[in-house]
Amino acid sequence: MNKTATKTESGEIRLVNVSKKFGPSYAVQNINLTIPHGSYCCLLGPSGCGKTTILRMIAGHETPSSGEIFIGDQMVVGKSPVERGTAMMFQSYALFPHLTILDNVAFYLKMRGVGRDERRQRAEEMLRRVQLHHLKDRMPAQLSGGQQQRVALARSLITNPRVLLLDEPLSALDEFLRLKMRGELKSLQHELGITFVHVTHTQPEAIALADMVVVMDTGRIDQADSAKEIFNSPRTPYVARFMGGQNVLTGTVSQISDKVVYIGHAGGGTFEATRTDMPAEQGKPISIAVRRDRIRLRRGSGASGVNQISGVVEATEYQGSFVKVTIDVGGDVFVANVSDADYFAEPVDRGDAVTAQWAAADVHLLSKLDTGAAGDPYANATH
Amino acid sequence: MSSSPSYGPRPWTFYVLAALFTLFVIFLYGPMIGVLILSFQGPSASLVFPLRDPSLMWFDELFNPRRTGDVVGAFYRSLPLAGIVMLLTVLVSVTAGFAFRRRFWGSTAIFYTAIASLIVPGLVLSIGILVTFRYLGQSASWYTSGLGAHLSWSLPFGLLIMFAVLGRLNPSYEEAAYDLGATKWQTVKEVVVPIVFPGMIAVALFGFTLSYDEFPRSWLTVGSKNTLPLEIWTMTTNVTSPALYALGTVTTVVSFIVIAIALSSIILIQRKRSS
Repeated sequence: MNKTATKTESGEIRLVNVSKKFGPSYAVQNINLTIPHGSYCCLLGPSGCGKTTILRMIAGHETPSSGEIFIGDQMVVGKSPVERGTAMMFQSYALFPHLTILDNVAFYLKMRGVGRDERRQRAEEMLRRVQLHHLKDRMPAQLSGGQQQRVALARSLITNPRVLLLDEPLSALDEFLRLKMRGELKSLQHELGITFVHVTHTQPEAIALADMVVVMDTGRIDQADSAKEIFNSPRTPYVARFMGGQNVLTGTVSQISDKVVYIGHAGGGTFEATRTDMPAEQGKPISIAVRRDRIRLRRGSGASGVNQISGVVEATEYQGSFVKVTIDVGGDVFVANVSDADYFAEPVDRGDAVTAQWAAADVHLLSKLDTGAAGDPYANATH
Repeated sequence: MSSSPSYGPRPWTFYVLAALFTLFVIFLYGPMIGVLILSFQGPSASLVFPLRDPSLMWFDELFNPRRTGDVVGAFYRSLPLAGIVMLLTVLVSVTAGFAFRRRFWGSTAIFYTAIASLIVPGLVLSIGILVTFRYLGQSASWYTSGLGAHLSWSLPFGLLIMFAVLGRLNPSYEEAAYDLGATKWQTVKEVVVPIVFPGMIAVALFGFTLSYDEFPRSWLTVGSKNTLPLEIWTMTTNVTSPALYALGTVTTVVSFIVIAIALSSIILIQRKRSS
């Protein structure tokens, strides 16, 4: 008989040079990624970036065009989901509409030829675990979205997987339930200690859940790091823009030393940044990221000294704990998230001339030049 | 100025369309009810209203023929024929429907070839089949040439229904079954067939009724022994008694019973799923 996956087996996932072509075009190209055992990993990116394709290749619902996928020490390309020890939760949950909740959860056991009494008992146990035992005789259509999701979870977990794959699991829920289930997923993962791979296009979701965030752009991985690293120190303009919370500025390296890089901005100002392993070369253009919530604003247009930029307030948006101030700096958009206390001490309004300034420590050099083209779905969001 | 709210009168089109629909209903059911009533005509044997001395004598005449044709024999040919057409239509439509879920080389051509038989005139097809059978030295009968002629009519309908049904079948159900360790066969048996079962009943219903009351494609293809629609047609030319109406009533009732069985089983399944 084939080996059944148990929790003791490693749920480390390794993708080596994985590519997937649909017709002539690549959905993903040359992906190399290692997801540690027992971690909560979020694949994050806009629709069409290839994140779902990666998930489906790990699940065994899509075969890579080339490359290898390992789970634990087992090469799994060509193997069935059960042999892989993976279980997938579908975006639509895909609960079988003709079966009761109990029979849905017991489906895996039935397929394995487990006797009726035993599989009912084990399915009931699993339903108790997700607190849905009282609904065991209902049909899926009679359940709310949140309940359906828990049934889908129970149905996946009864396979005792070492990897749980979740395809946009929260996208069908309303805001309130989404936050609630988000918390439940996180604690479930903690409790089970297995690897979770979760596909999402919502960055707050990824940051809140993940030990490891993989930011994707059109078939490639832009950055795979901890949530804190991704949010604080994006490596590319794309990641900075996609994660939101950052201003991306481009200038020319005017002076460079072991520790500091000076950048001349087209608007006349000079920015100072700590030198990192990012490529920086005298006289070459370079992009930097500055966190929106590390900006101080003062009235007046006289930008003097380093790390300052002047412009005209275009819009202010009250967000509760902070105020989002959008500033037009010579045609470009610059955003400062000012704490409500600071803002109301010295309010600015549309049309006011302001100067923004920040500390050199809050500037991050980016590895690529900003093209401005990278999609920023959160440009107008609150983050 | 009136102070009461105005919710607007119904537009004049409402009354026009309502009148049209009423006409349609009268036109559809009026004659059927007329035939139903006249099938209880008394011994006067009058073919027109009024109904005098209602009796069941013409039903008796139907099953113990003295002057009518072989109605019972025709019924026992039509019923199994419709049954076989129904089974084959379900089998072929469902499997073909699944084949067409994936695009394959020549799929469009095959689809249009299959659908084209909907627009071929039935009488012409009937003649063509007879001529071909003669040429091949075969004699026509209801279970060979007749069956083929009926399938040429029911299969395209069945296929189109299955396209609609399978078009709404979310592929994630099959993927979920695979994910949970089901084999291909288990997936079909435990997941796909139960989900598309109402659609299969619809196909069965179409297959049965299309065959049961098919005239043009039966005309020359069923051989020397008539099916029911042909028998009725023959009777209109040489039987001038209310037995004709009694036959109309019986065949209509059989059709309604089949439809009722099919629809109630669909409703039962739906209710089981959503109540």
